[in-house]
Amino acid sequence: MHRVFIILQKEWIEIRQQWTLLFSIVLPPIFLTVLPLFVLAQFKGTNLQTHGSVPLNYPSMQGMTLNEALQAQIGMQLSIMYVLLPGIITSVIASYSIIGEKTSQTLEPVLATPIRTWELLLGKCLAALIPGVGVTWLSGLIFLLILPFLVDQRVFNAIVSPGWLVLFLLWSPLLALIAIAVMLAVSSRVNDARSAQQVSAWLIVPFLAVFFGQLAGVQVLGPAFTLIVALILAVLAIVVLWVTVRIFQRETILTRWK
Amino acid sequence: MNAIETSKLTRRFGHLTAVDNLTLSIPEGTVFGFLGPNGAGKTTVVRMLTALIAPTEGQAQVVGYRVGSEDSALRQHVGILTETPGLYDRLTALQNLVFFAQLYNLSVQRAKQQAERYLRMLDLWERRNDKVSGFSKGMRQKLAIVRALLHEPEIVFLDEPTSGLDPEASRVVRDFIKELHAEGRTIFLTTHNLPEADELCDLIGVFRTQLLQVGTPDDLRAGLFGRGTEVRVAGDPALWVPMARALSFVRNVAVREDALVIALDDPDTQNPPLVQALVQAGAPIRAVAPIVHSLEDVYLQLVDNGDKQKNAVK
Repeated sequence: MHRVFIILQKEWIEIRQQWTLLFSIVLPPIFLTVLPLFVLAQFKGTNLQTHGSVPLNYPSMQGMTLNEALQAQIGMQLSIMYVLLPGIITSVIASYSIIGEKTSQTLEPVLATPIRTWELLLGKCLAALIPGVGVTWLSGLIFLLILPFLVDQRVFNAIVSPGWLVLFLLWSPLLALIAIAVMLAVSSRVNDARSAQQVSAWLIVPFLAVFFGQLAGVQVLGPAFTLIVALILAVLAIVVLWVTVRIFQRETILTRWK
Repeated sequence: MNAIETSKLTRRFGHLTAVDNLTLSIPEGTVFGFLGPNGAGKTTVVRMLTALIAPTEGQAQVVGYRVGSEDSALRQHVGILTETPGLYDRLTALQNLVFFAQLYNLSVQRAKQQAERYLRMLDLWERRNDKVSGFSKGMRQKLAIVRALLHEPEIVFLDEPTSGLDPEASRVVRDFIKELHAEGRTIFLTTHNLPEADELCDLIGVFRTQLLQVGTPDDLRAGLFGRGTEVRVAGDPALWVPMARALSFVRNVAVREDALVIALDDPDTQNPPLVQALVQAGAPIRAVAPIVHSLEDVYLQLVDNGDKQKNAVK
C-alpha cells in the first residue's frame, strides 16, 4: 500500500501544477452549489399568486404553499446534479492522468520498478476519486448548511430526502468509480484526453433518467428505488473495474498502447 | 557467477518472432554491448531481462532471479535507462528522482542522498529544483541515468545512453559508465555508436532476432578478419610479396597502395622475425603497424552474414 500512496502523492503534485485541471475540479462544484442556492433565495419571502397548475403530487409537497412547492421542485431538480459532479471531475483527472503518461511515455520506467500493476492502478484511481468525491461532498455539505436559511423545514425535507441522501452518498462515488474505470479502459485506445472524456458522456444517462423522471412528476428518489440503483451501480463498478484491471496489464501497456 | 543467463529465450508477437532462441551468458562485472540494427529485437530482449514482458519460450536468470517467477525481486536489483527518458515534465529533477527511488523502496532521506551523489557526478545538482520541462535532451538523458542508479542495482541496462547527446555530454556519460564498471557493476549496453561500444565494452553481442556472434571486440575482429601487420615500403611493395610469402608463419600477403598487408596468427611474436626478414632482404621499410578493423566492419560483416544465412534457409 505504501507505493499506492507514492503514486497518489505524485499525481496530486502534478494536478496542482495544472491550472486548467484545477479549474475543472473547482468550478463545477461552485457553480452547482451556488446556482440552486441563488435560485432558491429568489423565492424566499415572496408570495406568489397562482398562475397555473403546479404538480403537487409528491407526498412530501402536501400542505405546501405554491411558493414552497416551487422551491421544493426547483431544489429537487437542481440538487440531483450532485450525481453528475463526481463523474465529471474524476473523468477529467483520470483522462489527463493516463493519457498524459501515455503521450509522455513515462509508464515504462514506472513499470520497470517493483511496483505491482494493481498498486499503480489503485493509486491512479484514488488520485482521481478522492478529489472528485471530496469536492462533491464538500460542496454538498455547504449546500446543506446554507439551505435551511433559505427554505423552511418542509421544503428542506422535500429536497434533502432519504432518497437524495442515498444518491448523494452512494450514487455519486459509485458513478465516479465507474467513470474512472471507463476512462482507464478507454485511455488504452485513444491518445488525447478529449476523446476519452467524450466516451464517458454516457454516464449522464442515470442523471437524465432521474432529472426527467422528477420533472414529469414521477417520484423517483424514493429510498427503496435509490438503494436498488445503488446496488446495481456497485455491481457495475465491480464489473467495469475487473475489465479495466484485465486491460491495464504491464505487457499490454508496453506492447499495445500506442 | 553470471549476471545474466538465458537459455533459448524467445519472444513472439503473433506471427512475428522478435527474439529467437537467445542463449547467452554474461559474467558479473562485464560491460556487455548489445548491437543490432533497428527492429532487431534488442529492446524486446531488454524488456524480457528486466521482467517488463514475459518470454514466449525459454528461461532467463538475471542476478540470480528467474524471469517469470521472481519478477518483483528482479526489478529491485536492476536499473534501466529506457529508450525514451520518461520523466515527469511538471516535476522537478529532484521530485522525479525521489518519486522513483521510493518505488524502489528507498526512504525519502536516502533517496535525496543518492540523488545528490549522482546528480553531482553528472553535473546536474545545481538544476535539481528546476522542472524537467526546461531540461535539454542531454540533461534528461543524464537525469534518467541517475534514476536508474538510485537504488544501487547490481546490473544496469542502458538503452542508447548517449543517443542525441553532444560530444561533451557523451564524454561525461562514457566516463560515468567507466566509473560504474570500475565499481564492479554489470552493464548491459545497447548502442548504435560503434566506436563507443569498442571503447567501453568487454564483450559484444551482435543481434538480429538471433544472436549472430558474441565475443570480445578483438576476438570478433580476429574471428572475421584474422590478425595481421601492415608494412609500408618505399617503391613498389609487390616486389616483396614472394619473399614475404616464403616465410613459414605468414598466412597470406596482399598489396594495398604502398603497403604489404600480411596476415599472421600472432603478430606480437611474429612481427620481429617478419621485419627482420624484410630488412635482411633489402626492403625499404617506412612504417610497421597492426591491421585494425573497425567494429563497424565487424558489425556490418556479421549482420550481412546473418542475412545471407537467413536467406539461404528460406
